[in-house]
Amino acid sequence: MLSIRDVVTKENIRRKNRMDWISQHLFMISAFISASFIVMIIGIIAIRGIVPFIQVYEGYNFREGFVDVGPVNLFRFLTGMQWLDGAVGTSAGYGIGYVIINTLIAVFFAVVLAVPVGVFSALFIAKIAPKRIAYTMRTIVELLASVPSIIFGVFGLGVITRWVSSVGTVINFQTAAGLSLSATVIVLAIMILPTITAIAETSIRAVDKNLVEGSLALGASDIQTYFKVVLTAAKSGIFAGIILGVGRALGEATAVAMVSGNLFSGIQLNPLGTTATLTSRMLLGQKETIGLDYDIRFSVGLVLMLVILLSNFTLRFVMRRIGGVHEQ
Amino acid sequence: MNNKYKARYRQDNLMKSLVYAFSSVGAIFLFLIVYYVVTTGISLVSWDLITGDSRAINTSVVVDTTAGPYPLSIELEEGIFYSTKWGIGLVEGTNREGNTIVEVGYVHPNSPFNNAVDQTQVDEDGNPIIWQLEAGINVITGFTDTDFFITQDGPERIVEKLEAATVIERFTIQQEGGGIRGSIITTLWLIGMTLAIAVPIGVSSAIYFNEFAKYSRATKIIRSMVDLLTGVPSIIYGLLGAGLFVPILNSTLGTAGGSVIAGALTLSVILLPTIIKSTEEALKVISDDLRKGSLALGASKTQTVFQIILPNAVPGILTGVLLGIGRIIGESAALIFAVGAAIKDDIILTERATSLAVHIWTVMGGEAPNYELASAIAIIILGVVFVMNFMVKQIASKLNKATY
Repeated sequence: MLSIRDVVTKENIRRKNRMDWISQHLFMISAFISASFIVMIIGIIAIRGIVPFIQVYEGYNFREGFVDVGPVNLFRFLTGMQWLDGAVGTSAGYGIGYVIINTLIAVFFAVVLAVPVGVFSALFIAKIAPKRIAYTMRTIVELLASVPSIIFGVFGLGVITRWVSSVGTVINFQTAAGLSLSATVIVLAIMILPTITAIAETSIRAVDKNLVEGSLALGASDIQTYFKVVLTAAKSGIFAGIILGVGRALGEATAVAMVSGNLFSGIQLNPLGTTATLTSRMLLGQKETIGLDYDIRFSVGLVLMLVILLSNFTLRFVMRRIGGVHEQ
Repeated sequence: MNNKYKARYRQDNLMKSLVYAFSSVGAIFLFLIVYYVVTTGISLVSWDLITGDSRAINTSVVVDTTAGPYPLSIELEEGIFYSTKWGIGLVEGTNREGNTIVEVGYVHPNSPFNNAVDQTQVDEDGNPIIWQLEAGINVITGFTDTDFFITQDGPERIVEKLEAATVIERFTIQQEGGGIRGSIITTLWLIGMTLAIAVPIGVSSAIYFNEFAKYSRATKIIRSMVDLLTGVPSIIYGLLGAGLFVPILNSTLGTAGGSVIAGALTLSVILLPTIIKSTEEALKVISDDLRKGSLALGASKTQTVFQIILPNAVPGILTGVLLGIGRIIGESAALIFAVGAAIKDDIILTERATSLAVHIWTVMGGEAPNYELASAIAIIILGVVFVMNFMVKQIASKLNKATY
């Protein structure tokens, strides 16, 4: 006869507790590992990004042989209007001031294009479209969101740059095979469109039904209600979508690198002229994986992270100040 | 009053049409992307492309000089120029790089070109390699006793020169490259290794956050640190790979620069937030009654996790895995830094290679972008990504039905 005392012994309970202790700590270690990567990312990029401003590199060119290169001048780096003053390997005159400004210009116009389109699409999906069409539209938005960056690059290079260059032909402007600011802006706008749409849709759906019904009861038409009541009430969510979209646009690399033309110097305001973004500068022209020309990419990455953080803070500030919107 | 209504009506209609127009933009661009990629690349998608070598094989062969004639017994396709003397038909074509080439179009069954002896190499046992010229092999140059020819002569001139010759001294042929087998294998390796690393860590983290972690400040900080990973752009992950994993592997495994393993490690970090998130979603909907019931029956916490919670979380984990596969296949910027952009045929895990997405990056870079090959690969990538998304949607709808 098996008694309960035989199963629930002190020894068994102790073993069970020991098991629990071990598994709990294994799970905890995994969680710590997952959390530690953000620290590693920041640490690695900060350390490797600062090295070019301190260390002297060994460069080589055919005329002078081995020469000392560096360190890079930080002020010049941040304000420079030319990527590199001199030849790769012998010069430390890197500058990305113009790249930062060009990046912000491209992202700004991409957001300006994508926000109305995204918000209107969200309104259509959430409020106007019949159920079936809304489902189809949402699927389309999800599919567009899942298209990888490299395919936007192929599409940009195969279609959009051709549009741009034919516009250039019409107005008699010689484009760099269509590689241009406007191609960059269009590609970026399509890429952030699903982000903005999805988040705007969620926040439009979350608008209190009483508000809508109140507005309708006061005699406003459907459309008036959507634009004046629903969108106003969903403002904070829409703004959150914009912030996410800006972050994504700033960090977008492959597609932008393929269509931007990777401008070497100067601020580009001509939509048909080539431009450069921080990411395109990091990706393109990799020849070796050592030396100053490679390590400077970590510095650009560090600046990119700072630009993303700063723009995020600025937008949040603007959102609180102008929009009168409180974060949810 | 009436006028005011009319104005409102007009305004409403205007806004409505604006909404319709704007909301079609996303659909139009998705259609344009798929349409462009499919129409440009579909002609290249074939079994040969998928299994083919990327690098072309060039070699020289000699053939028996006991020339024909080999009169034709069948009707040849248009454009094939046939040399009755040697029993070989040549045709103009384009290769995967888009250049004009001269291809073998037809070889007579008795033609000496059916057993052309390789001049430049022998097989492992030292025996001569015999080539059977067939469609898909290109003719580069050739020397006869009277003349020589090159691709630029075109098939008609080459056949004329062959007819005039009595001896063919050398024939340089090329088996076409441009295949993507190496990149497909690399991508599969990346998927396998990345999931093997990211799924255990991600699922365990999610279990810790949802089942074990006490509600405290420290937990909150750790959790928000994981959430921060979602917002990091993929190129920054690339820098993590190049700045952390590559140097570590260089000093431990002796790799030189980027490697497939470094790529898998980098991708694991990219996937972690996705897998943690989707596992947690699944854990959250598991009813507390199940947990309490299991504990009340005397199961330990560990037993509850492994035998009650995890089986119920499988759909969530699967969602994370499927989304992860889509992400791995599409990832480019991070892999350019961590794995490199050198197209390889033979994959060694400690060396550089390209995934499918980076293969596109490599063939689109440079002076002459290869739109056809890039689009062909893009079709494969898009197909996989869309199928993954469809499956995730199916799982989600099944789950919702089960819960409500």
